[in-house]
Amino acid sequence: MTTPLTGPPRAVLRLHRTALIVWGLFVTGTIAGLVWLNTVTADSARAKSARCDPLAYCADPFANTSYSAPISWISTFICYGFLAVAAWAGAALIGRELEQGTARLAWTQGVSPARWLAAKLAVPALVLTVGGIMLVVAFRWGWAANRDLMGDDWAFADVFVARGPATVAYALCALAVGTLTALLLRRALPALAVSLGAMWTLNFFLERYRESFWPTVTRTSPPEFEASRSWWPLENGAIIDGRRTQDVPYWECDGTSAENERCLDDLGITGHYTTYHPQSHYWPLHLVETGIVLTVAAVATLIAFRLLRRRTTAPAVRKGASV
Amino acid sequence: MTAPTVAAPRLLPWLLRVHRPALYVWTGLLVLLGGTLLWLWGPLTDAAAEAWRQYNACATGGVCRYDQDAILRYKDVYLYASFAVLAVPFLVAAWAGGALTGRELEHGTAQLAWSQGISPARWLTAKLAVPAALVGAGTGLLVLLHHLTWSAGRSRVDNTKSWFSTETFYANGPLVVALALAGLAAGALAGLLLRRSLAALGAAAVAVAALWTALRFALPHLWPTATGVSGLDGGPGYPGLLVDQGLVTATGAHIDNPGCGSTATAECRELFDRLDAVGYYTDYHPASHYWPLQLTATGAVLAAAALMTLIAFRLLRRRTADKGAAR
Repeated sequence: MTTPLTGPPRAVLRLHRTALIVWGLFVTGTIAGLVWLNTVTADSARAKSARCDPLAYCADPFANTSYSAPISWISTFICYGFLAVAAWAGAALIGRELEQGTARLAWTQGVSPARWLAAKLAVPALVLTVGGIMLVVAFRWGWAANRDLMGDDWAFADVFVARGPATVAYALCALAVGTLTALLLRRALPALAVSLGAMWTLNFFLERYRESFWPTVTRTSPPEFEASRSWWPLENGAIIDGRRTQDVPYWECDGTSAENERCLDDLGITGHYTTYHPQSHYWPLHLVETGIVLTVAAVATLIAFRLLRRRTTAPAVRKGASV
Repeated sequence: MTAPTVAAPRLLPWLLRVHRPALYVWTGLLVLLGGTLLWLWGPLTDAAAEAWRQYNACATGGVCRYDQDAILRYKDVYLYASFAVLAVPFLVAAWAGGALTGRELEHGTAQLAWSQGISPARWLTAKLAVPAALVGAGTGLLVLLHHLTWSAGRSRVDNTKSWFSTETFYANGPLVVALALAGLAAGALAGLLLRRSLAALGAAAVAVAALWTALRFALPHLWPTATGVSGLDGGPGYPGLLVDQGLVTATGAHIDNPGCGSTATAECRELFDRLDAVGYYTDYHPASHYWPLQLTATGAVLAAAALMTLIAFRLLRRRTADKGAAR
């Protein structure tokens, strides 16, 4: 444990120390921000709101936003931070080295291509995992600490990712996808753009179909009922002739409540339903998504290694043949 | 004077050749986004207008059949198109930082060009003028299409965004063109300063973001606001780009709005009496301030772009002169 870091891992850290510093500042700055917001800002915002009886004149009726707005920004940055990782991995980590030929130089210095790529992936993966875990742990605490001041809930797209291991999975996937695109394109700027686009697309579709990663719950009952605030509501409507429909012509019914009820009966409404995810589905949903993202990461890594091996062995064979 | 004239015809084709991928991407983006705006302008606006006509013809209380999908599609495509137009300055800045000057200095191809009879100043002039013409013309075209599309929907589609809605305000006028040119200048300058492709890419994008943030805060104050006063009973008005709003007292003083609500409740009426409030004041920009605001802001951003260009030229001259002296 006391041996100093040597060889390729040391080179990776040295070469990308700017990125390491930026990442370190992001992690520590975000954690410090969460602590500050939950200790200082939350109390002052609550004190301001308490003093802010609208009947007794208050200067700042929206004091809560001094707490909730930065927390929302933090959840956005933690969730979508993987886009920066994708850009960096595509351009700076691999693309630039292949474009400028420094990768080839390294391979002639006794570092095999596979070891070179392994170091290029392992060191950032470790740094991202450690920092990502710190961010997630801090965010889980910071997001839950003052719920009364917040207007979001667990199903918000960025909060959903930032509260669990999917944050780390997306970062690792971005690293792998950036590496693969850079190996394919062998140029820094195109790799940056393609890797960013690929990760954005992956996230776009996962976000869109997130709700279907675990079976939903449907609650039906004859009278109308109010959805719990902890649910992620997906669809609600009425049951007409045993069929669920969202297309209920409520506007046809008007008048006293008795008339209204009779009218709804005439429409054939026998009940109401709501399809939703209860809060207890958070972990199943989250872990399925994490699994998908990690699978993409693993596949991209595997292809990257195979591609590199094929590319670095082929010229040698050809050279051998020509001699 | 003969050397530059010999080199002159080669500069432009060389520039276009080096940046051919960027030219293709830019053309593709213009075709795609321009096509989307035309689609929105024609079929989608027509469909949404027809849906709104159906909706407004509905008698209250009866069954209302209208093409809700057309209205939602119009809104979605409009927003996506607006955001895509607003992303152009960032793309230009990232490209200019990454590919225009930073990469050439990093790889040494700039120095090579300077040794081939192209003076550094002419090199940078061409590097800025050709992209500026293409970026200016292309972004101008997108803005024009966006504005025409927005105008076409305004009278017919009830959910057309208001002129002061953030994305519409920016994407509808020359301000985005100025921001794109500022992005180009920022990218070129960042490349010269940092002499590294990826660092300059990041720095240029951050510079545009900073410029935009500053603009967001400064813009409402670039032109004198109009002030409207409305009675307590009617509630505060919202007639345009809101700058400030609150209560006006009997002495004419402006105080903050307590957020109590309407005078319909006895408690609020009592509070307003205690505060001696007689109405609401609203500092705002009416629609007639659109062009003054747009043009002042455009002027400010163009001035920033010019300043960055000037710094870039001075930096280049100083650096290349030093080198010559050292040699």
